[in-house]
Amino acid sequence: MSTTLAPTEVQVEQPQQVDSIERDRPWIVIVWNDPINLMSYVTLVFQKLFGYSKEEATRLMLQVHNEGKAVVAQGTREKAEYDVARLHAHGLWATMRKD
Amino acid sequence: MLADEHRIEPAPHGGVFVRLPAVERELLQQLRAELVTMLETSADDPSLERLFPPAYEEKRKEREYRRLMGEELLAGRRRALDVLEATAGQEQLSADEADSWLIALNDLRLVLGTRLDVQEYTFAEGLDQRDPRAPELAVYTYLTWLQGALVEAVSPDR
Repeated sequence: MSTTLAPTEVQVEQPQQVDSIERDRPWIVIVWNDPINLMSYVTLVFQKLFGYSKEEATRLMLQVHNEGKAVVAQGTREKAEYDVARLHAHGLWATMRKD
Repeated sequence: MLADEHRIEPAPHGGVFVRLPAVERELLQQLRAELVTMLETSADDPSLERLFPPAYEEKRKEREYRRLMGEELLAGRRRALDVLEATAGQEQLSADEADSWLIALNDLRLVLGTRLDVQEYTFAEGLDQRDPRAPELAVYTYLTWLQGALVEAVSPDR
């Protein structure tokens, strides 16, 4: 699975750290391809919701179109859920899962 | 000006000029009304499923998400459809009204496209007039043109 952002680095010093590593793993937001959504509309939504430049938004849209899906955002569970809801509100097919 | 001209152009402050003949505005109202009726009376119709995609693969988390977000997402769609109803006769839309048209048109296309089982290849060789779906596919094609023209007119770096 491809991602546009570098993975979060976590330092492991002792076994007791395992729990907080689990909590710190980011959630990722995936947008899936579908035959109905317009490429130009998807690009616009990416710009509007995430502040991507037109070039970056177009690149992500093409990744969705050509590869079937793309990671468009990541963060805490709360942020990912908020991002997914905004994408759903604009009619895009988005899901979230732990990275 | 031609009576049957249809054209969407940028207006000041992110708005758009909407030149559509009356028959197209009436079509938009009719499609809007049909979708509103469907949302109110048959919310589990399979053609609505793309309006409510899952957020999670895990069922329990998905149920929770649906419980928390379902009403708000539905209300957002209704707001966009209500703005379309209120402004379908206008020659000019504000930026916010154009945003609502985009969401409303996208929803209309999602529902119609699902019902007609539109795939990537559906329009690859033009419309086959013998296809029983032809009249509705023509409507779908019109909505596609209108949404695309609106996106073009509101795009930030025009």
